[in-house]
Amino acid sequence: MIKTIKHHFVMRIFLILLAATIAGGFAGCTSKKKIARQKAAAERTSTIEKAKTDLLAIINDNGKMSISAKEAKVAEIKALNLQDPEVDELILRAVDAINKQKKELQRLEEEKIKKQKAEEAEKATVAEQKYEKIDDYLESVVDSKSLDLANSRISETLKFFASPEVPVLIIIYQEADMKDYDRPTTIKKYLEYLKDQKKNPNKVNDVKYNDNGKITELELLKK
Amino acid sequence: MRNSKIIVIMLIALIFSIKSFSQDNISPQRKLAIDSLALEKVRDLSKYISIIGNKQTPWSEANRVIDRTLELFTDGAKMGVSSINQSEVKYYGIRTYLERLMALNYDKVKIEWYNIEYISDLEKQPDGRYVGVITIYQRFEGSSGDKLTYVDTTKKDITVYVERKQTQIGGRIIGFWDVLLGDIRVTETKP
Repeated sequence: MIKTIKHHFVMRIFLILLAATIAGGFAGCTSKKKIARQKAAAERTSTIEKAKTDLLAIINDNGKMSISAKEAKVAEIKALNLQDPEVDELILRAVDAINKQKKELQRLEEEKIKKQKAEEAEKATVAEQKYEKIDDYLESVVDSKSLDLANSRISETLKFFASPEVPVLIIIYQEADMKDYDRPTTIKKYLEYLKDQKKNPNKVNDVKYNDNGKITELELLKK
Repeated sequence: MRNSKIIVIMLIALIFSIKSFSQDNISPQRKLAIDSLALEKVRDLSKYISIIGNKQTPWSEANRVIDRTLELFTDGAKMGVSSINQSEVKYYGIRTYLERLMALNYDKVKIEWYNIEYISDLEKQPDGRYVGVITIYQRFEGSSGDKLTYVDTTKKDITVYVERKQTQIGGRIIGFWDVLLGDIRVTETKP
């Protein structure tokens, strides 16, 4: 009888201890999950805050960041899939800001090209005007109605040159910095060529002068 | 067996032609400029011949133009001369031909070249020169007094040599294409 009572008592104590242990265990587990949840929540909050800061930096940037860097950052934030309404709105604003910057860059580039073309056209006009006088003299030899007139115009034109032997180079083809020339001739022979052939297939491309202002080299280009 | 030999020969020829073309390193646009330059030299020659043949050209001018004309030719180049009155084609050195042209016994001479075009494109030779053939038609009219005494139309083939050369001008090296005309052969003569 006493033995049975003892046995029951021990069992009861065991069950109480077991229940206490299980209860304790459950309580510990619940606490760990809570901590993990809290940690995850804190991490998400931190990530969201960082994303917001980065997106605001993109939105408010005044040209310090490159477009590619901005696009990479937005893509990185999008990939996080934070599902935060504020972040989503900032993403839209950041994409809009990037597009605006792209358009502005394109506009500036187009403006730059337009300006360059205008400058080149102006230079070409200046060069054409600069050599117009020499071209006119060459043309006057071609247009001469008589042999005497042609010879007189040749003599007149030769006065602008350092000597009748001044080299004349005729570019037949050019590609980047490479120039292909016809066989070099002299100004006297070239003027006689114009007189004989009654045609001027070339225009002045470049002129070199000496200290006395006389031409020492004439470069022509096929029209 | 014979067919396979022909195929092998054709393949070898193809490989060599591809190799030769790639070594040229000349773009089609650049080649076109060189072709045009050679054609222009032939047109220049046409004008010089008409000046030399023209009885109105003063003797000194004609001699000067002869010198300019000779600069267009290779040394030893020959000009073929034909007539509708004889079947034989005679060949003269260029200076002799031009001097004979200048001394022709007509009161008026009119020489005109037309249909100037390539019949054989400029092709690179093993010596590095490009060689081609340009054909022209020449109409010759000789008059004495008011009477047209001789007329003929001749088809002539002109061999053209183009060579890349260099010279120094103003202290710098200039690369240029030297176009020289070779023999001018008569291929057809009609009244």
